[in-house]
Amino acid sequence: MARETLERTGFRHVGRPVDRIDATGKVTGETPYGDDLRFPRLLHAKLVHAPVAHARIRRIDVSKALAVPGVEAVVTAADLPSHRINPDVRQQTLLARDEVLFYGQPVAAVLARDPYAAAHARDLVEVEYEELPAVVDPLEAMREDSPLARTSAIQEADRSEEQGHITIEAEQEQAQSRPSNVSSTITFKRGDIEAGFAEADAVVEGTWRSAMVHQSYIEPHVTIADYDANGELTIWSSTQAPFHVRHEVARTLGLPDARVRVVATEVGGGFGGKIYLYEALVGALAIHARRPVKLAMSRKEDMLAATPAPQAVVQLKAGMKADGTLVALQARVIYDSGAFPGAPVLPGCLLIGGSYKCPNLDIEGFEVLTNKVSVGALRAPGAPHVAFALESAMDMLAQRLELDPLEVRLKNAVEKGDPLPSGQPYPAIGLKECLEAIARTEIWQQRHQTRQRPNRGVGVAVGGWLGGLQPASATVGLNADGTVNVTVGAADITGTNTTFAQIAAEELNLPLSMVSVVTGDTKTAPYAGMTAGSKTTYTVGRAVKLAAEDARQQILAIASQRLEVPAEELEMEDGVVRAKGQPEKQVTFAELGRLTTGFGARYAPIVGRGAITARRQAPGFSAQVAEVEVDPDTGEVTVLRYAVAQDVGFAINPKSVEGQMQGGAAQGLGIALSEEMVYDERGRLLNPNLLDYRLPTTRDVPPIEAIIVEVPSEEGPYGARIVGEPSIVPGPAAVANAVADAVGARIFEVPITPERVLRALGKLQD
Amino acid sequence: MPKRLINLTVNGEAYEVAVEPWWSLLYTVREELGLTGSKEGCGTGDCGACSMLVDGRLVTSCIMLAVEADGCQVTTIEGLATDGNLHPVQQAFVEKGAVQCGYCIPGMVMAAYDLLRRNPNPTLEEVRLGLAGNLCRCTGYAKIYEAVLAAAERMRGD
Repeated sequence: MARETLERTGFRHVGRPVDRIDATGKVTGETPYGDDLRFPRLLHAKLVHAPVAHARIRRIDVSKALAVPGVEAVVTAADLPSHRINPDVRQQTLLARDEVLFYGQPVAAVLARDPYAAAHARDLVEVEYEELPAVVDPLEAMREDSPLARTSAIQEADRSEEQGHITIEAEQEQAQSRPSNVSSTITFKRGDIEAGFAEADAVVEGTWRSAMVHQSYIEPHVTIADYDANGELTIWSSTQAPFHVRHEVARTLGLPDARVRVVATEVGGGFGGKIYLYEALVGALAIHARRPVKLAMSRKEDMLAATPAPQAVVQLKAGMKADGTLVALQARVIYDSGAFPGAPVLPGCLLIGGSYKCPNLDIEGFEVLTNKVSVGALRAPGAPHVAFALESAMDMLAQRLELDPLEVRLKNAVEKGDPLPSGQPYPAIGLKECLEAIARTEIWQQRHQTRQRPNRGVGVAVGGWLGGLQPASATVGLNADGTVNVTVGAADITGTNTTFAQIAAEELNLPLSMVSVVTGDTKTAPYAGMTAGSKTTYTVGRAVKLAAEDARQQILAIASQRLEVPAEELEMEDGVVRAKGQPEKQVTFAELGRLTTGFGARYAPIVGRGAITARRQAPGFSAQVAEVEVDPDTGEVTVLRYAVAQDVGFAINPKSVEGQMQGGAAQGLGIALSEEMVYDERGRLLNPNLLDYRLPTTRDVPPIEAIIVEVPSEEGPYGARIVGEPSIVPGPAAVANAVADAVGARIFEVPITPERVLRALGKLQD
Repeated sequence: MPKRLINLTVNGEAYEVAVEPWWSLLYTVREELGLTGSKEGCGTGDCGACSMLVDGRLVTSCIMLAVEADGCQVTTIEGLATDGNLHPVQQAFVEKGAVQCGYCIPGMVMAAYDLLRRNPNPTLEEVRLGLAGNLCRCTGYAKIYEAVLAAAERMRGD
């Protein structure tokens, strides 16, 4: 794995590849995930999922289900403890009350002593539905004569999940003059779009479609709740966002935040799909039953009724001058939000107009309600959809003007100071550097030879993400034996706790083995925002660094008194503080630990505190290159080689960072080639399993080359910037461009299935 | 229907377990024996997170009934490390950064272990073929390939 920047000076831990501190527990199977926890008197919940996409509930008969041995309760909306109900917010519609809005929506919950009994009884709950017209296709839904996806208009949309991923201010219009399935719109304009097209030497346009895809974490959602005699509700959840869950559950169930404890269990993959979903429901069930309740979703249930990523239709027209200068972008970006608002229209519109310098923009975004499952975040939500269109159009323009597609991108790539469509200027970013790195790969260098071979081609694409912003805090404490504990409130999914250990060890000049990091629960941990929006190292990492610096100052102050040497004349190494040039004058961390924790200790405990607010983004860009082979008889596309270059600012743990880049790129390949939630005309999901919903396997994904690019951010720890999300963005376009390069046919819809390839080649007609 | 009594030898230890006829081997090992290292990711044999060895054969234990394993020798992820020492496959997964969320890893490690027993000197393409029944959503597989190839090398003593 090549790296752009390997030389480090002045650092002992940060910037060096380190094994994850939690890896041994995971390879031995010892690490407990939510479903591995054991609770006495536990009840297992199974949800009754509506078998229709849009209906009125006429009657629910639970008698047969209640008669199943082992069943303790069957709970409908009417049986739930009193709580805040908001029909416009998925998470405040705990169970469908009168109207079913999507296929799979929970209508009732069965509580039983074992999961098999719960599942059996669930199938015996009888619900009578009066079916209503189902709205399935977002473009149909936008027509004036379309039936409505819900009988009551949206009053109050919840956009907190989107804001966790991308924090930026822009007007999102919600008011409507007449009932419509369009729940919000966004418009960005710059310059004079008609004048832009008038000065263009080439204009291309098209309509690009992206399928609804599922985050497909291998661990399905699991939530356990227990309401104790003291009136405290504890929730164990595989959530990325413990503090967010706490506040939302408390708000929904009418409890103070202080009475709700959320324990973030090990997250078996989230990718944005495990922010907040069923925690309030399971909490309500536990309050109802007065026993611990677990909801462990099966794969099918998770695919039916979690929060996948939206289907999108992007209509794009782009104009370029003969010298390769982009002069006009006109886009209509439509996201199918499913049954509740919450589609990523804002990031989609910002990124389609914010990846290249372009003087004339006309961008319209639409969030459309349908009777499909409501959507949530998936790694850079909304971005792959628009990059698919924009990056395909860039290749089409380059081809039309006989320009090199990579050079065209370099010529127009956004840089520091360039404005987003909202007007906000970019801070330091590394899009150009990523393109330059991709230009140096073997795949790109050998593209002309590759093209000599039949049905082979090479495609390049870029994409980025702006990142979320939330405050964060951390503490660093000195133990009696001189070791150090770091406590944070952020769920560790990507290896961030290992990164925090590196940061604390760096600041205190300790071996890594003397530092331990824990994610506390919401009653014990200092606050952190959700592990989403690629911001955990960028924000919590800063807090850890500050906390370690604070602890360092406290250690030096006590050592200074003990050694009678001014603090500025002290140095610390491997748990020993000594006077510079007088090594005999020294005190160890272990002695300081005793002096600050023992009986009758002279000094107060050492507790470093770090708390930050993050107001400035550190966007991340990625450039990627694909080499593919297309089978002209079957239409199958094989990715032969793939490389991802990404600007990460500063890779504190290059091993984790590479893993993020490779993992995101592979997810991009899944969107590009195989993943699609298929709904029939009545809004029923046809493939809720991992056989018919095709995730990339080892046979599909070649070893992905990861090239770390480092353009330091202004505020991140050691210059680190966001990492997790950008790598998923360019994949669909890179593959589509490679396919076009290989066989001369352009595909406008992902996934690029064999059928779509054969259609584009004119080998398959309706 | 009464429970059935079955005999299992799991990681070298003999168990007599009363099981319902519809219980999967995975459910039985997790819930009755308390060995929760093997994971359920799909329940339909598609993801491989529940992979175990049953009489030397790699199975997706979520779609094998417990009663089918009566009298069998079962090896789960908990049985790989010996005397507190990681198996070379486990060690390589740690060192190569092949572990992210970790949920697929017990099954992935079992599949890699099984592959290297059958083919101690696999090529990259053979590794990709050998692990095709195990889905990982985090890593993009690159570091898993590296880990399996490194483990093979270490086990051969090259």
